[in-house]
Amino acid sequence: MGIPEIEDAKCLLCFGYNGADSHPIVARRIVRGRQKGMKIICADPRVTETARISDIHLQLKGGSNLALVNAMANVIWKEGLADEKFIQEHTKGFDEFLKVIENYTPEYAAEISQVPAETIRQAARMYATNKPAMILYGMGVCQFSQAVDVVKGLANLALMTGNFGGPSMGIGPVRGQNNVQGACDMGALPNSYPGYQSVTDPASREKFEKAWGVPLPDKVGCPITHVPYRILQEKEERKRIHAYYIFGEDPAQSDPDLAEVREALDKCDFVIMQDIYMNKTGLHADVILPATAWGENEGVYTCADRGFQRVRKVVEPEGDLKPDWQIIAEISTAMGYPMNYKNTEEIWNELIDLCPSFTGATYEKIEKYGSVQWPCRDKSMEDKGTPYLHKDGIFATKDHKALFYGTDWHPPLEMENEEYPMSLSTVREVGHYSVRTMTGNCRTLRNLEDEPGWVQISPQDCQKLKIQKGELVKVLSKRGYCISRCLPTERVKPGAVYMTYQWWIGSCNELTIAHLDPISNTPEYKYCACRVEKIQDQEWAERHVKEMYNDIRTQMGIQPGKGARS
Amino acid sequence: MNYFVKGNPDLCIGCRTCMIGCVVVHEGKHIFEIDPDSYTFHPKLHMVKTARLSVPVQCKHCENPACMAACGVNAIYQEDHRVLIHTETCIGCKACMDACPFGAIDMVTVAGVRQKDGSEKKVANKCDLCQGVAGGPACVRVCPTQALTLVTEEELEDLAKRKRMESARSTFCEVYHCDEFSYGGRE
Repeated sequence: MGIPEIEDAKCLLCFGYNGADSHPIVARRIVRGRQKGMKIICADPRVTETARISDIHLQLKGGSNLALVNAMANVIWKEGLADEKFIQEHTKGFDEFLKVIENYTPEYAAEISQVPAETIRQAARMYATNKPAMILYGMGVCQFSQAVDVVKGLANLALMTGNFGGPSMGIGPVRGQNNVQGACDMGALPNSYPGYQSVTDPASREKFEKAWGVPLPDKVGCPITHVPYRILQEKEERKRIHAYYIFGEDPAQSDPDLAEVREALDKCDFVIMQDIYMNKTGLHADVILPATAWGENEGVYTCADRGFQRVRKVVEPEGDLKPDWQIIAEISTAMGYPMNYKNTEEIWNELIDLCPSFTGATYEKIEKYGSVQWPCRDKSMEDKGTPYLHKDGIFATKDHKALFYGTDWHPPLEMENEEYPMSLSTVREVGHYSVRTMTGNCRTLRNLEDEPGWVQISPQDCQKLKIQKGELVKVLSKRGYCISRCLPTERVKPGAVYMTYQWWIGSCNELTIAHLDPISNTPEYKYCACRVEKIQDQEWAERHVKEMYNDIRTQMGIQPGKGARS
Repeated sequence: MNYFVKGNPDLCIGCRTCMIGCVVVHEGKHIFEIDPDSYTFHPKLHMVKTARLSVPVQCKHCENPACMAACGVNAIYQEDHRVLIHTETCIGCKACMDACPFGAIDMVTVAGVRQKDGSEKKVANKCDLCQGVAGGPACVRVCPTQALTLVTEEELEDLAKRKRMESARSTFCEVYHCDEFSYGGRE
């Protein structure tokens, strides 16, 4: 499925995905679909822009995703709304799956999710009876310690209703950031070479060893979220990390439990940071390598729909900086493995020849068609790629059958308690992208929203805490605290607060927990216990925020007085 | 008749691109200047978000503007299908702001202009429908979901016609408990 197909679905189940803030361009398709009569079911603890225009808003309590998804499956089965023909012909494991979902009556899920049982029933009916139905999910699914299970749970819904393999159906992960799909495609993962070829598969390994002329390890590498542990606590000396090369990532801003991240970066013997602007991680780096930004370099991005797209240079980079690929090639050469690529196309050609599912996606073809969706196996211009991955219900397994996978729900790790009575979830806001490396340097976007950012909180909680809109407040968890501004909003429920993670001062990752999903190793950014405190001396707080901000800017070498007034 | 820009909350995603578009068009090249005093960020429309509503709010360019009636120095006038503020004449008395029933006017500083005592000059600020800008109001043009439209006299009349039609139909159907096609001369 592709982004443009969203608007032609008969029903959209938008689960833990806030398009208006994360991807306005995708949200546009949702709005247009709505105008065309598409039914919308939105599962989100907040009243997002999509929830606002939805037919059914499942305003669930954070951390109850799987209970809700399983209950929808329960209703679809019990009410005879499943596509039994599709299940029979194209899937396996349905009976085992039934045993799991049997317990998830809407009444049981209502207790966990705080969504009324009747609303769950209506949502299940709406999804199952409006075909084609599409599912979009975002970080509200992925950033929990039970994440992969929920993705599979959503896939179960699509499978049992036969919503796979055609236009405007299926399930779509709408990635957190631009080109996350591309990074995974290129093997920037601890367990695979480019093209999802496993590092533990001897045949793949031998192929890459032969092509690159070096022996390659046969073990899965270290996920980024394990790095602090491997620096600070690893007992086995052989496994301890001593050098950390970070590029296009700002773990000292974006990773959970920042105090631990800073300690790890400082204890690590050697840290290299390669980025387009100075950032929080750079403050802990031994070497900084300035790289070009988009618009200054060439390359290929992969869209959420597996489409490869060319990106082109529009301006010549100025100053002492180089494109990422050149920096990597020069470092590699200096370390004794010469890389002599002349341009990005040479790198791309080497890569596609090593990845059967990308082989057909030549620069020429991407140029001609604008986008080529993998798998694209043949270099002839006739092979235009694959719009539907599981076309006609033929899946990428040995027997071409999809596998049902049922699991039980479990709560997040750190629940509200006496000392920290509220839950914190990290979210996005439309003006600032990712860790604000780029948007924080854009004057008009900073004019709309600037440090220290906001904490979204229900009016009832504000009343209890005696805090008002715009007041600076302290937000604390077991791991740390930060200062943010109070934003009362009826769009959130009492007991839960929400913060965006890009602010240097209102840095909510000081609070978040480094508890990971066991399969994806993604942290539970969407749930930890916290407390909000009133600051009596507001004048002091305002001064303090300003001082902290100027301190960071000074440390980063940003000249005072430059840029928009803050 | 005066024109106005109308926001549609069914289409709006609350992104505030309209506010940025507004500033960019009114500030022109100043937005690229490093000196912070050469530039101000004063959108002439504002995103309003309630529990279940997101929509930008701006001047309705009233036919009998309360702001114009309230202005003591005749700084507000009508021209070219719109209500405008003459910012050089404006003394910042806030009477218009007070009079406007829609909250469409705010008081803003003028970039780089100081008064005798060194304080910044402040004047009334509101939507001018991008007067003198080719292509019409910037907010309408930049909105990613086409949630904003410029409502002209013609469109207002069309809209009224459509509504009158709808009204006729619904009254008719209420009386005869049928749709207009199955009426067939019944009394």
